[in-house]
Order: sequence, then structure tokens, then C-alpha cells
Amino acid sequence: MAIVGENGAGKTTLVKHVTGLLKPASGTVLVDGGSTASTSTAQLSRKVGVAFQNPDHQLFSESVEEEMSFALRNFGFAPELVEQRVSWGLELFGLDQYRKSSPLVLSGGEKKRLTLACILAWDPEVVILDEPTVGQDSIQKEKLVQTIRMLSTAGKTVVVVSHDIEFLWPMQPRVVVMKAGKIVGDGPASKVMQEKDLLDSARVAQPELVALYQSLDVRPPDPFVDPLDARRWLEKGGTGR
Amino acid sequence: MAELLEISHLSFRYPDSPRKAVEDFDLAVPEEEIAVLAGPSGCGKSTLLRTVNGLIPHMYSGEYTGSVKVGGTVVGDASMRDLAQKVGFLFQNPENQIFMFTVERDIAFGLENLGVPRQEMRDRVDDAMRLLDISDLALRAPHELSDGQKQRVALAGVLAMRPKLVILDEPTSLLDPKTAAELVGLVSRLRKELGTTFVVVEHRLDLLVKVADRMVVMSDGRKVLEGTPRDVLYGDEAEGYGVAIPAVTKVQKLLAKDGFVTRQDLMTPTELARALVRRG
Amino acid sequence: MMWLSGGFVFRRGTSVYHRLDPRVKLLLSALMFVTTLLVRSVYELALVLGFMVAVAAIATVLRRVARTMVFTASFSAIIFVLNLVFTGNWVTSLLYAVRFVAIVMSTSLFFITTSPDELEQVMKTFRLPRDVVFAFVTAVRFIPVLLLDTLQIMDAQKSRGLELEKGNMLRRVRNMIPILIPLVVNSVVRSGELAEAMESRAYGAVAHPTSLVEYKSSLADKAVAVAAIIVFVLAAYSFYYVLPAKFP
Repeated sequence: MAIVGENGAGKTTLVKHVTGLLKPASGTVLVDGGSTASTSTAQLSRKVGVAFQNPDHQLFSESVEEEMSFALRNFGFAPELVEQRVSWGLELFGLDQYRKSSPLVLSGGEKKRLTLACILAWDPEVVILDEPTVGQDSIQKEKLVQTIRMLSTAGKTVVVVSHDIEFLWPMQPRVVVMKAGKIVGDGPASKVMQEKDLLDSARVAQPELVALYQSLDVRPPDPFVDPLDARRWLEKGGTGR
Repeated sequence: MAELLEISHLSFRYPDSPRKAVEDFDLAVPEEEIAVLAGPSGCGKSTLLRTVNGLIPHMYSGEYTGSVKVGGTVVGDASMRDLAQKVGFLFQNPENQIFMFTVERDIAFGLENLGVPRQEMRDRVDDAMRLLDISDLALRAPHELSDGQKQRVALAGVLAMRPKLVILDEPTSLLDPKTAAELVGLVSRLRKELGTTFVVVEHRLDLLVKVADRMVVMSDGRKVLEGTPRDVLYGDEAEGYGVAIPAVTKVQKLLAKDGFVTRQDLMTPTELARALVRRG
Repeated sequence: MMWLSGGFVFRRGTSVYHRLDPRVKLLLSALMFVTTLLVRSVYELALVLGFMVAVAAIATVLRRVARTMVFTASFSAIIFVLNLVFTGNWVTSLLYAVRFVAIVMSTSLFFITTSPDELEQVMKTFRLPRDVVFAFVTAVRFIPVLLLDTLQIMDAQKSRGLELEKGNMLRRVRNMIPILIPLVVNSVVRSGELAEAMESRAYGAVAHPTSLVEYKSSLADKAVAVAAIIVFVLAAYSFYYVLPAKFP
């Protein structure tokens, strides 16, 4: 699922309610059937892992290994299991060579991978990523897409809060559009991203492929998911004179 | 006529580093141009920018060979005082370049440092605020501003020094798409109104490619690609260097290869839809 | 923490008091401070406190100052108890305890109505070195930023299972480490970025930088200052010579 909207629309606020960092003034938030009002963030985080935008707000340990064990120990994992999960995470994200290094010497991209590895190590059912693509080049973003698809295949719920419409579009998520603290749109990407008026009023960009799709006189039932799709259709004569 | 920015065989290595951050780099940027610098993370873009405004070598020392000239002045020989008036630098995080408690005083910061007389300072601060449409924020405190507003304040502070060349380091990274588009429009307008030259480092290229004249791609400290944005994005190598090619451009490239599109310049989605050539 | 800061953190205001020249505000607080120290009876204390409450009301900051004073009162309870133990005199002990609160209040009135820019102005008047003044102003400017950072760091670490509210004293102190280290590291990185921005805007280029704003004291400011000094002298005189003869 993707949550989109301009800065200040309330996306991060909404996310914070899921893990109890904020408690509702009215209404309820239910996680796994239980209300967040009476549960601590630490407990809720066991099920919902949130990767915040700035990794520098988290890293503090003497080694990458230690850093990855932090949450696991907080959640009461047995030492052997901690060791297992740490090794698994480091391998998966290609950070094994930094095992004993200080997390502070890693590059920006590596720090982001580390914070994600830390979360996946405790295997939450839901993973929320807050603006994961800020400052990333296209190669790093491609890896991120692969990671998200892998998590989804593994049966996890992945929520991505992002401005980067082009990054989100190929994954065809369920899109929730927020504006001024309210949800103004909710549906599959192929539908929601076509509603130009809605997107404009929420100051959300429209994916270029959707804009292209809507400019055609003759089109397939759904907008093109990737450039190859578009090419295929257009070369078959899919445009009016 | 000499170019505004001339980088010639520049190499730089930080003291603790085994490899060079910038290697044998050449670049010439004429006046009033908007040049985009792209490349994968860690390729040396930040280091290169700092050699242009003088932070390297004046604040950061290391092994430095080659030369950087701005408006004919060699950066290594000039003082930061002179360089600050020739080259403006907008850093990535607006928060960490606003010092004062009031917006207008922060915009005046550079001018106060240069000892500019009060009346002239007042005029230049007012001008800068008007240019960036932030006159109504003059007496606000920085923590009362949004990210987009903070960025404008920081930019106003840079422009108040009246530099000929302005460097923008990933200016859209913290902005949402609409605000980012506004910033790009602003840069284009400033170039026209003030004749300022801009060098912009960016990952988010889909907005900039429409206004930029030149695109340079860096990798591992070296320049690997250079040309008009269209030439660079149309080529086959850009993607390998972590350059994000806009989706519609990818479609355009595919269609052009098969002869379905003849127009050469980079098109918007609607333009592409209209430009399709019927085959056979 | 918040209670204490409520009475000392500047917030913009439009009252007559806010608009006084900051040097006059400093003078007023200094005079109130000294007058409080001269107080030796409940009556005098009541007069001084009443005066300060009136000033706070004029400056529209009464509620915030009052809240901080209530918090300060809990500290002054220690003073009360100590005095009671050593002198056995209830009235004097109460006097000293309340006097402490009044002293804090006099300084609070200055900081709560004076912006960092005005503080800078005052520091310059005292001919403090430019670097010191600049460091101070920048530090104050970043207080809200640091507070926000701290909250964000706490959110991030809580999301990794850190329980800040559980455990004994020792555990709670240890749990501060995952908060403090990122905070310190980020502050150091921030300083580096600030230094780059300062250099890039020619900090230190000229020995005597000019200033965009100038604070000139008006006739009204000067009048208030003179009036304050007169009131102070009268008060000091009566507290010392007149009143003790009439009141215990």
C-alpha cells in the first residue's frame, strides 16, 4: 500500500498512530484486533516495523552487529536467535563486511539498508517505510523495489509513504491519498492515479505513463505499468489520428 | 570569451582516503546556463561542488591538482570573502544554513559579514525577499516555516550576495513534487531575470531536464557523460550510472528506435501522444 | 522540563513591555532582582511581588510566568524547610522561600519578553566578542530544532522496542544512551554543516560586521528607565529606613 499526499497532509501522523507514538483524540486504531490506546509503542512495534526517514536518528551502537541486536534484545529474543537473525539480515542486505564496523561510518545508502535490515530481523508482519527513496539514485531504488516485492511475496503487509510517484507506480499498490489530515482517495493505483482532479487538489503528481495513457484516443483498459507495455500498445497502432 | 566556470584537470584526494574523490575532471560552463550534475551516490559530486565555491581548498585540505576558475579568478588563490560574492552555495538541508532568529536578519547574514552599509543591505535584503516571494515572512522565526519556505529563505540569503554562479545541492530532495516543480520554475525565472548561472546536483531529473542546458554525469570521481539532457538521456549508458531516466523518455527512446517517433527533443507525455507517426 | 521552560522561553508579544528597548528590560529586571534581595519583611515582599505580578500582567505573560513560579515553589520548599530547621522561625523561613521564587520571577520576566535578536543587541552593548555573541544567538535559534530532533529520536528508538518509562533509576538512565548518542552525533554533524555555510557566506571576512537592524532607545524608553531608577531608590530607602520602624 502507498500513502501519498503533500508535505503536511498528515501521512507521517497517520503512521505514528499505528505504532502508538500518537494516541487518537477520538476514534480507535486497531492492530491485530487490539486497540493501540492501551498498548506501548514498544509492544506494537513487535508487529509493525517502521523505517523512519532519517537513519541518523537511530544509529548509536559500537558496531553494526550491536545495532542489529538492539531491537531483538528489546523484544526478548534468545541470544542464539539474535545471532541467527543478525547474520541473516547482514547477508540479505550485503552488509556483512561491516559487521564489526561502527554504523556511523557507513554511507547514506548503506545506513538506510541497515535500518531496514534491523527491522526485518525481528520479522514484523507489517513494514512501514517513510520516504525510503529520498536521496537515492536509480540503482538503489531498483534494489528497494526488489526488497519490497520480496516482502510482499513473503506475505507481509508493506506500506510505503512517499512522494516518489514514479517509484511507486510499477508496483501497482493500493493507493491512499491524503489531504489536510483526511483520506480523499483510496483504491488500486490504476484507478486512483487516473483521477487528475483529485490528484491536483491533493498536490500529488501523476505518473508520466498515466498522463501518456490519458492523452491517447485509443487505449487499453488499464494504464501502462512500464515503458515496455506502452511501447507494445503504441506500436500496434494504439493511437487515434 | 572565457566561460564563467572552468574546471581543468581537477583531481582531489581527501587526506584519509586511499582513492581520489575527483579525478582528472574538466568542465566549462558558460554564463546564464543551467547545468545538471548527476551520478550515483558517492561518485564525488559533493566534493566537486566544494571545489567550485572554495570550501576546497580553503576549509578542507587535501591533495589538489588542476585548477578551478570562476569568472577568471582562480579559486585556490582567492579568499573566501571574494569567492562568496562570486559563487553562492545552497546546501542540501535548509535548516542547517539558517543562523538567525529572524528571516530578514538571516538573509542579511552574508552582507553583514562583508561589512555592507546598512541602507544598501536593507535594499538588497528586500530585493532578495521580493524575488523569492517571501517578503511576508520577513519577521518570522525559522522554526515557524515549512521546508519549502526555509529553502527560499536560504536561497534569498545566497542571492543577496549577488553571485554570478549559484550551486544547488540536491535542492528538491526534501520537497514534495509540486513544491519541487515550483523550485525548478523559480530557478528558470532567476536565470532569466538575473542572468545567474546555475549548477544543480540532482537525482530527481524529470523536472530539471526541461530547463537545463547541459547535463554532466559523474562516476567514481570522473566525468563519464556530458551533453544536452536529451543527448545524455537518449544514450544507452546513462541508466548504468544510476541516472533516473523519466518514464516517458524511456518510452520515447523505445519508439524512436523502431521509427515510431521522429521528433528529437525530449517530450512530455501529451506531446509524445500527439507526435506518434503512423507506420505503413 | 516544560514547566520550567514555559517561563523563560521567548515568545513574540505586542505589549508595551515587549516593545521596550531590551537594555531597559534588562535594567528593570536587574532592579527588581536587587529590590527583592533588600526585602526584610512580609509587607515589603508583598509589595515587590505585587509589582512584578503587575508587570507580568502588563506584558501579558502572567499565565506562563505563574506556572513556572508554581514549579519553582516546589524547589523553594527545600529552602523553607532548611531555614525552619536552623532558625525555628516560621515567618522568616516563609519569607526566604517566597523571596527565592520572586528572584526567579524577576529574571524570568526578562527572558520571556526578550527575543534572541534583542539578547544579541544587549550582548553587543556589553562589548562581548563577536564569536561569543554569534555562538549564543545560533544556539538559541537551534533550541526548537534540537527539541524536535530529540522527539524524533525517541520515536525512532521506541519503535525498536525501547521502553523509556519502565525500570528502575539505573535502567532509565541507561535507556537514555540510544537517545543521547544520536542527538550528540547529529549535533556535531550539524555544526559541520553550519561551519560550511558560514564560510560560504564570508563569516569573518571583516573585523567589524555591519548590522541590518539598529536598536535605538526612544524617549519613552529612557523615561521608563529613569522612572524605574527613581522607584527603586525610593523602595530601597523605605525598605531600609522607613518600614522596619513601622512593621516587624
